[in-house]
Amino acid sequence: MRPFFILTLKEIKDTFYSKTALLFLVLVSFIIGYGFLTAVGLYSEQSLSAVNNPLYARGFEPVPGVFGPTYGGLFILFSLFLPFVIIPLISLEKERNTLAVLTQLPFSFKDILTAKITASFLFLLFVLILTFPCIILWQIHGGHIPFNELLLLMGGYLLYGMFIVSVSFFSASLFENTANSSIFAIFLIISSWLIDFGSNMNISPFLVSVSAWTVTLVLKYFENGILSFTAVMYFVLICSFFFILTYILLRFDLQGKWKSISSTVILFLLTMFIISHITINIDITESHRNSFSSSISKALKKVHGLEIDVYMNKGDSRFADYQKSFLKKLDLVKNDVQIKIMTGNELKKNYGLFVYKINGKTEKTYSNSEEEIFPIIFKLAGISANPGNSETKYPGYPLVVKENLSIVQYIYYLLIPLAMILAFVIKNFKSTLIRRF
Amino acid sequence: MLKISNITKRHFRTIALNKVSFEVSEASITGIIGPNGAGKSTLLDIIAGFQNPDEGEISFNDVPLMLFKEKRNILSYMPEHLEIYPDYYVADFIRFIHQVTRYVDTDLIEMLNLAKVKNKKIRYLSKGYQQRLKLFFALSNTKKIIILDEPFDGFDPIQLIEILDFIRFKNRKGQTFILSIHQLHDAEKICDHYVLLDEGRVVTMGSMQTLKQTFGEDSPSLEQIFIRAIQ
Repeated sequence: MRPFFILTLKEIKDTFYSKTALLFLVLVSFIIGYGFLTAVGLYSEQSLSAVNNPLYARGFEPVPGVFGPTYGGLFILFSLFLPFVIIPLISLEKERNTLAVLTQLPFSFKDILTAKITASFLFLLFVLILTFPCIILWQIHGGHIPFNELLLLMGGYLLYGMFIVSVSFFSASLFENTANSSIFAIFLIISSWLIDFGSNMNISPFLVSVSAWTVTLVLKYFENGILSFTAVMYFVLICSFFFILTYILLRFDLQGKWKSISSTVILFLLTMFIISHITINIDITESHRNSFSSSISKALKKVHGLEIDVYMNKGDSRFADYQKSFLKKLDLVKNDVQIKIMTGNELKKNYGLFVYKINGKTEKTYSNSEEEIFPIIFKLAGISANPGNSETKYPGYPLVVKENLSIVQYIYYLLIPLAMILAFVIKNFKSTLIRRF
Repeated sequence: MLKISNITKRHFRTIALNKVSFEVSEASITGIIGPNGAGKSTLLDIIAGFQNPDEGEISFNDVPLMLFKEKRNILSYMPEHLEIYPDYYVADFIRFIHQVTRYVDTDLIEMLNLAKVKNKKIRYLSKGYQQRLKLFFALSNTKKIIILDEPFDGFDPIQLIEILDFIRFKNRKGQTFILSIHQLHDAEKICDHYVLLDEGRVVTMGSMQTLKQTFGEDSPSLEQIFIRAIQ
């Protein structure tokens, strides 16, 4: 066996067999099981009135209805608990000085870090594998599975998990002990939530512009079924950034660390700037719920220089509706629209107003519905567009699960936690077991 | 063989090492001795490449050792503060080292008596056995220079005799040793050359004979020489 492979195996064992990892997996099992049962229950209940109503049935999509809430639990688990599993992989090596052991063996710093990243990646994959029984059971009970959308959702959580891994590694390389590293990692992760909160509360225009780049917001692309090149590259870049910083900080032999760190930061900002200007988004949902009808999309592509002033708080439910039903769909067709969220006295004076501007021409409306907005935009642009048939052919997949889902409880509340306890016993009492049997 | 020239290391405003220079000849056992805080561990860290000096150079056979990789190929280092994976079984750790280094020294395992504790978790080993495991790691190779920081901590007198014998045995086979030892009577038993550090500076150095000549033939032990040199 090649030394690097042996090292990777060691790291995989260290990751999977640690007490915190096993506890984390038990927690994952409970949360996934509970999330799936609740989501199926609600979906089933709402489906009762939709099974015989084709129009109502169109609103039933398994990913946002069942799998979204099931995987949603992973967001909290990854954000708040995963750092405690990942940080010891580096911080304990530092505390115990075992990096001195590894670096004297035929391993470079790159090998050591790569092995740890590989082990963490496999751990995240294992977490996602734990969700497979839900998918299988959903299909057994007659549920529809939109594989592309589901894979995108899983990919999003895998990337988010890797982001947490990279932040955890960075914190561990920065501080000398596990406690400080954990606090710092959680702080970095939660700061993304704080920016979102500040942006929603319209605290400052700076926060609003920064909030477009928080991990939570970028993750939404995956949750909403939009395959976004920018979002994927964002995660790849931000993970690489923290991994490179970790590499620099871990190398005790490196001279001029600040020079390397500042070059990495500059390179990161530059690449981020370039990526932010490349927008390739594909709506991969079966219902095309993120897109306008094709005739509207075609017409919108001909519109140039559109500016929208929104006189509304971001926390307003009308704004949320406007964003979901119009702005997000618009972003998939056109990424050059300038949207200004107004603040201060102007906001108070004109609250609730939407102002559309094209080449100096202006139209105002208080409506946030597509039927009102499109005629305004096309009139300002001087384009005649036929809204076409906006009705979708998507049939919807309501499902009433009549059978008892106690198997889910057995798997997630009993079987998986028991398997983790067994793994713990085997690992920690191996010699006693060998002597006894 | 190994030349340490003008090594200076500062920790903020404190000078940990001040222009430390000495040479280590091939197949010798050099003892770095000095009171607590003299800079022994910092010096060994720098020689092994775990810290960078602010000034000075280390060369091997007149070739400067600039990169950690270069040092790693020549030197094996056992730092004083090393806690080998406490949740590992001794057998697993030994296997890991053997697989990775592709070097198996059965004499070493036998001498360190590690077979006796192979099914124990490292965290449950006595201090002496943990120290043996650290020595196992540092000695499981054919590197030219072995650097051991406080290698005899935690050994009882009988264990110490065995370990000293083994170091002499390896030394006779051509390996060079640099040891940091605070127990001077232990140093006297094994070293053939001494470097006495105090407050980051080399106070004196040489063989026992040279030191006796310098500090008076009436200084029978290293301890007395040490006290006189410091004073």
